[in-house]
Amino acid sequence: MSYYFISIGGTGAKVMESLTHLCIAGLLPENERLYIAAIDPDVGNGNLERTSTALNNFSVFQNFSVGNDTPLFKNKISIVRPFPWNPTGHDKTLDDLIEFYHHSNTPAGKLYEILYTKKERDTTLNEGFRGHPSIGAAVLAKKFDDGSKLTAQIEKIVSEGDSVKIFLAGSVFGGTGAAGLPTIARLLKNNLADYADRISIGGVLILPYFSFTPDEKLDELFAHSENFLPNTKAALKYYSEKENLFDATYFVGDSVMTPVKEFSVGSANQRNEAHVVELYAALAAADFYARPLHAPKIFKYICRHERDKFSWSDFPASAERFVQFARFIFAYVHLIKPALNDLISGEAKAYKYPWFVDFLDGVDLIAPDVVNFNFYAEAFAAWLKQIETLDGREVFLINPAMFEANPARLVDKKLFAALDGNQSKLTIHEIFYRLTEPFKFDSTVKGFGKFLRRLYDTCAL
Amino acid sequence: MNRTTRTVVKIFLIAAATVLCIAAAYYLGANVTGHKLATASDNMNYSRWLEKYFALTRAAGLLNGLCALGWFLTSRFFFTVDEASGAGKRIFWAALMAASLAISLGVAHFYAPLLGIKLNGIIFALFAIIFTGLGYWLLTIFTTPLAFKYTPPGARLILKRSGKVD
Repeated sequence: MSYYFISIGGTGAKVMESLTHLCIAGLLPENERLYIAAIDPDVGNGNLERTSTALNNFSVFQNFSVGNDTPLFKNKISIVRPFPWNPTGHDKTLDDLIEFYHHSNTPAGKLYEILYTKKERDTTLNEGFRGHPSIGAAVLAKKFDDGSKLTAQIEKIVSEGDSVKIFLAGSVFGGTGAAGLPTIARLLKNNLADYADRISIGGVLILPYFSFTPDEKLDELFAHSENFLPNTKAALKYYSEKENLFDATYFVGDSVMTPVKEFSVGSANQRNEAHVVELYAALAAADFYARPLHAPKIFKYICRHERDKFSWSDFPASAERFVQFARFIFAYVHLIKPALNDLISGEAKAYKYPWFVDFLDGVDLIAPDVVNFNFYAEAFAAWLKQIETLDGREVFLINPAMFEANPARLVDKKLFAALDGNQSKLTIHEIFYRLTEPFKFDSTVKGFGKFLRRLYDTCAL
Repeated sequence: MNRTTRTVVKIFLIAAATVLCIAAAYYLGANVTGHKLATASDNMNYSRWLEKYFALTRAAGLLNGLCALGWFLTSRFFFTVDEASGAGKRIFWAALMAASLAISLGVAHFYAPLLGIKLNGIIFALFAIIFTGLGYWLLTIFTTPLAFKYTPPGARLILKRSGKVD
C-alpha cells in the first residue's frame, strides 16, 4: 500500500504543511510511504515555499535511526517531482496555454471568446488562477496528462500489484483548488481505470475560513473574498448534482472568517498563517488512509463541543501522541538546542550535559540531517503557535497564553508541564533527568536518531 | 531500579563508604605509624593512643561523609537543570571538596591537641587521601545523581572503566 497526497493551490499547500507535521509526529496509520505532490501555478507562493521547506527538511532527516518500534518518523515521505507541478509555465496567458491562435476563427474559438472575458484571457497566470476556477479547469484538463508525471508514477506502482490511496486537498472557493479537485480526480480515475480495484481516491473540500481586504484598488484580476460563499454554493451544488468522484469526501470549513493579515495577489508575499481548518483537513487525510481500501462511500461530519472554541475533546485523532510530539519538539527547542549551540561554540563544557556525553559525543552536530532537524523543530513550534493564536477563534489544544510572540517560545519554562492544559509532572528538569537514566535500545537505534528517540520516549507521561 | 530506590541505595552507599573510610584511616594510621606516635605523645600508651585516634578518625570521617551527603542531597533535590546555569554545578562540587580537605586536615590539626595525641605528616596524608580522595571525590563519582553524573572530574573515565556507562 502507498499513500499519495496531492495538494492543489495555496490552501492545499497549507493542508500539506499540516499533514507533513502529522506524518512526522507519527499520526498516519501503519508504516506506509507517503508520496506528496503539489499542483500550483504560483510556484513562488509563500505558503508553498514554507511547506516545501518543512518537507525538504524531513526528507533529509527522515532516515535517522530511531528504530522501528516507535511512531516517530515511521511514515517516510517521497516528494513527487516536478514539485510543485506548474500547469501554466512561465509568463503564459490562457490564450497561450490553450493555443488560441490555432483556433481563433473556428467555432470552438468563438465559443471560447464568449466563455472567457478579455481580462481572463490576457492575464499572465504566474500567480495562479486568481480565484477563477473556469480558467484553472481549462488549463488543468489540457496540461495534466503531458505535464504531470503523477499518473505514470501511480500506474507503475499499481501495475506491480500494490494498492494506492490518493487524497486530494484544495479549496472549493478559490481558483486553483476549485478547478483542480474535480478535474484531477476525474483525470486520475479515467487514466487509472484499468486498476480501479487497487485505487481509492479521497478528497477534502475546504470551505471558506478566511477573508481579506485588498490594500488598495488593484487593476488586476484576483480573488475576492466576498465571492467565496457564492463560489462555495456553486461548487457544492456541482458535487451534489454531478457524479461524486471521491470514495471518501470530507468537508472542512469555519463559521468564523479569519482575517488575513497581509493581502497579496500571490507569489512570495502570499504567506498566510496556519489555521486549525488546515489541521482538520490534514486529519481528514489521516482518517482516509486508515480506512479499508474499498470501504463504502462516506460523507463525514464532525462537530465540536463549544461554538467558538477548539479543545482536545474536538481532536479527532490520538491527542496523546500529538501532545507527546509537541512536548518532544518544545523540549528540543527549549532545552536541547540552546545547550548544543553552547557546546558547539565552546561556551559550555560537555560534563554539564550527561545526555550529550552519553548520546552525542562523536556525533557530527553540524551534519545536514541534524541542521535540518533544528530548522524543522523551529518550524513546527511556529506552526503550532500560529494555529493557537488565530484572530477570532479560540484554540485550546496547546494553551495560547504560553507562547511568546516571536520566535515561538514558551513565555515561562515552567509552563512546559502544562503544555496540553493539564498539569503534569513532566517539567523540563524532569526531561533532562530522564535523559540521563539507563535504558536499552536494540542495535539498529544509533547516532543522533538514538538521542531523538530517547528524547521522544522521555516525553511520554 | 526506579529513582526512589536509586536514591535510597546511594544514601546507604554514602553511609557505608563513610564507615569504611573511617575504618581504613584507623587501621592504616594505627599500623603504619601508630606505635611511633604513641611513644612520642605525653602520658600515652598504644591502646590509649588508639582510643583517642579512633575518636579523631570518627570525627573527620563523619564530617567528610556530610560533605558527600550534602552534595548528593543538594544536587538530587535542590538543583534544577531547566536552564544552562543549573547544569553541571562543578564550582559547588569543588567548594565541597575544598571543605572536605579543610575538614580532613583541620580536624587532625585542631582536634588532635585537644585529645592529647601527636600526629605526623603520614596521618595528614592518610586523612587527605582517604577522606577527601576516596570519601568525597571517588564516592561522589559513584553516588552523584544522574543529572550531574559527570560533574566530578574524571567521572566519565572511571564510570566507563567500571562498566557503569557505555
